[in-house]
Amino acid sequence: MPILWLVIQREFVSNVLTSRFMIGFIVCVFSTAVAVFVQMDDYEKRLAGYNTAVREAEAEAREWDLYVDIKPQAHRKPNPLSIFNLGTENDGANTVTVELGKPIFEFISTIWGAPTQKRGSDNPFLAMFLSVDVVFIFKIVLSALAILFAYNTISGEREDGTLKLVLSNSIPRDTVVLGKYLGGMLSLFPIVLVSLIVALLIAVSSPVTGFDGNDIAHIILIFGVSLFYVSTWYLLGLLLSVWTKEAATTLILSMFIWVVLTSVHANVVTFAVDKLSPYQSQPEGAFLQPAFDVWDEFKRERDAYVKQRGYDDLRASITWEPETSSTGLGSNSYTGGYFRLRRYSVPSVDKADTSIFQELLGYQERLRSEYAGKAEKILNKPAEERERDAKFADALSRISFADVYHFAVGAIAGTDRQSYNGFIEDARAYKREIVEFLKDKEAFSSRAWFSTDKGTADLADLPVFKHKRLSLSESFARASMDILILLAWNILLFMTAYVSFLQYDMS
Amino acid sequence: MILHIAKKEIHHNLTTLRFALMIILLPVLFVANALIYSLGTGGYTDRINDYNGQVRQNRRHITEQANISLAELALRGPGDIPKRPSRLIFCAGGVDEVVSRSIKLRNDGSISRSSGVEDEDYAWRHPLSLEYKVVSSGSNSTGRVKINWVFIGVLMSFFTILFTFDAIAGERMRGTLSLIMSNTVSRGQVLLGKYLGAFVTVFLPLVMGVLMNLLVVLLIGGIPFDGSDWLCILGMVGLFALLVSIFIFLGLFFSSRVSNAITSLVWLLLTWVFLAFVFPSLLGIFVGNLNPIPSVDEISMRRRAQLDHIEAQWQREPEKKLRKSPAIERPAVVRLWATYFTEISDTETQIADGHIDQQLQQVQLARDLTQISPIATFQYAMEGLANTSIVGYMDFVKQARRYRQTFVDFIKAEDQSDPESLHIYPVKEGLSQKPVDPNAVPVFSEQISYRSVLSQVSLLVLFNLLFFIMAQVSFLMGEVK
Repeated sequence: MPILWLVIQREFVSNVLTSRFMIGFIVCVFSTAVAVFVQMDDYEKRLAGYNTAVREAEAEAREWDLYVDIKPQAHRKPNPLSIFNLGTENDGANTVTVELGKPIFEFISTIWGAPTQKRGSDNPFLAMFLSVDVVFIFKIVLSALAILFAYNTISGEREDGTLKLVLSNSIPRDTVVLGKYLGGMLSLFPIVLVSLIVALLIAVSSPVTGFDGNDIAHIILIFGVSLFYVSTWYLLGLLLSVWTKEAATTLILSMFIWVVLTSVHANVVTFAVDKLSPYQSQPEGAFLQPAFDVWDEFKRERDAYVKQRGYDDLRASITWEPETSSTGLGSNSYTGGYFRLRRYSVPSVDKADTSIFQELLGYQERLRSEYAGKAEKILNKPAEERERDAKFADALSRISFADVYHFAVGAIAGTDRQSYNGFIEDARAYKREIVEFLKDKEAFSSRAWFSTDKGTADLADLPVFKHKRLSLSESFARASMDILILLAWNILLFMTAYVSFLQYDMS
Repeated sequence: MILHIAKKEIHHNLTTLRFALMIILLPVLFVANALIYSLGTGGYTDRINDYNGQVRQNRRHITEQANISLAELALRGPGDIPKRPSRLIFCAGGVDEVVSRSIKLRNDGSISRSSGVEDEDYAWRHPLSLEYKVVSSGSNSTGRVKINWVFIGVLMSFFTILFTFDAIAGERMRGTLSLIMSNTVSRGQVLLGKYLGAFVTVFLPLVMGVLMNLLVVLLIGGIPFDGSDWLCILGMVGLFALLVSIFIFLGLFFSSRVSNAITSLVWLLLTWVFLAFVFPSLLGIFVGNLNPIPSVDEISMRRRAQLDHIEAQWQREPEKKLRKSPAIERPAVVRLWATYFTEISDTETQIADGHIDQQLQQVQLARDLTQISPIATFQYAMEGLANTSIVGYMDFVKQARRYRQTFVDFIKAEDQSDPESLHIYPVKEGLSQKPVDPNAVPVFSEQISYRSVLSQVSLLVLFNLLFFIMAQVSFLMGEVK
């Protein structure tokens, strides 16, 4: 054990005293600090936008006095961990409007009145600049540092002739490998730690971030995964150092692998899958017609009900004249593949007996929400196809452990694509909640659905969209696959380096 | 002597591992780029088909309206203004992947009012105003790195570093530097020889890659290049040369500055990461956020408020200035409506134009500042040559505005030649009701200007000079041992 400690110590000291340590340390801390600073500014803006949107939505909600009016919104709350990993935080929609007859879906092409909207994007042109955050800096800079620390551990000593001297002592070879690995990691550790502490200090010093215990736990987990990631690179450098005879060759080879894995691989894969989708996908417009057909079916079913109930001749059986008003019952409009009824206007409603109308509405509105679900299934297909493509690209990207790290951190921080999809799913769940609420209140067949003359709608306990944040264990579970892959890479690389060094030919 | 050193350097480089690695990666990337853009969706073929369809549709639209009457044409406008897709999008995607490919001539459907009184009922259209659509919501593909020539250029700068980091420091470590210097050769010559050697080693494979790329694009992609495209491609190769040259000088600078080859590599690597990724992006986002502009929501709120104010003045009680509907017998009323329309159109134009100008200015400021990084400058110059840069888009916006004016001027001029017309633009009743010759209607044609590239090229040349002097001075002052 003391010998192992000696090897570790020696490796640590020889690393720390080099200029690359100093340069790496300063650059890493400095760029992390700048990245946090810039991302925090961005986060503050998003948060302000979110707060305004929520306030406006609340003000709007106070105006509702009919059940038919309610149009609650689900807002995506900015994630404070996005300061560390921006991910998909700035992409996609951040407001989903819930309406009874409106399917929740996402198209790339803009559709007037689409349920998913992106509010508050100041300048879409700025999206041309790459988003650089702490995780990006770690992914690129720390990996380069790990390689620069590892490349000459074996081949360098061999060139210097010191490896023979080391091995001529009674030190087992496995101790040398283990010692060199631990020593290298020990010298990288302070860089990661200090960078993260600096990042955390800057982030916490701002009044807007408001990290809670859960967030801090997540950040510590990110720190742990980052160490894993750095270790993978260090082991790769170590392995190459064992495999090659000259330190210069090790360096060139590892630099090449570094640039391919961090910058080339994932970009080429994602871009290629994006442009050459392996699945045959239809243009988005092709899904509109089937969605329209759903609504035709809806009308048929409703009319059949009206007929069956014997209200065929509405005009004769009910006491108001729907036709006289320009936007009466039955008038409808198609927009972007969903169906909505214009406001029901009943002339002199206070005198009218609306019981049959209410009964019909009670049937029709429930049916409308069901058919919205059917249309949603159709209209969601383009998004599903995009997701399938993206998943395929992700799977291919995972060949590079730099991207495995990226995915793992995204899953922990809750800023990956899956978290975004989770928001859309949450919005759908919220819509179901709203429909349930309306059903419970028997709102569809109530008079307050369309008229305020006998009391306004009771919206006191209207469900509010709640933003779900994942607990540490949930985040860990989501990232577990990627963490396991990183672990597997670590073990694999270590074992290979270990075995290769045991067979190392000193001559 | 220079040639001798250069030759030796090239021979040395050709046998190295890094050359082998580069010669594998470069063609792979170039061919991948060509294949992805030739076969993939959203490539040039798709784009040009869209564009041609749009142009044809506009043509048909103009003919139809012109055959009805001048007034109808004036109100319905010439259709959306499409931006001709760049044939060189596979070289530099630029802003073309962010903005929509046409500027919409906003023309809401007809609006009508009815009050039951015959003289007051009227259906009308608002006058034309330009609408700039930027990015479609829900799209997650922005900000992602595109595999194009710019990306390959960035990688080339990395390889250049790998070829130069030990050019002098390595020789110094091996002790061969003092041997070279013991000959009758000046330090400047040694530096220049090293420079030429590295340049040829990096640049020749690059040119080969470019040729392979173009071959695939021509054979599979079927993109018809014309003379100016070839000139642009030549210009891009020149830009590659400038970029590679900058990084050779940078490499020689660090290599002669530092005694140890590894320290030189560390410096170079971190400089590269900074120049390629960290610096342009962080500075861009930072500067972009520095002078905040009103958000899209604020703008649309402002627009609604102002339009509402106008509506209240003209259309709603108690002020309601537009009591009667316009008719040829009532020129005064027509004039009143014209004022109303002009007011709406001015407000719309002012808000929309002001907003896009603010956005573009913000980006341009960020862009100008990020040009401190030669890699960013290289990127902008490439985009400029591919006509996909933000400056190109700004030009396009300006031309679209000019075209709108030309169109209005044409309507007014044609109207003057009809003696029966009241000559009141933009009210239907105030304009000529006779058909016009569709072929006389002005058509939008985009003028591409490459002037903005000049500043970037001179900046790149300046970087070359600067780093050359730095390398020269540091080598002259450096120790031989």
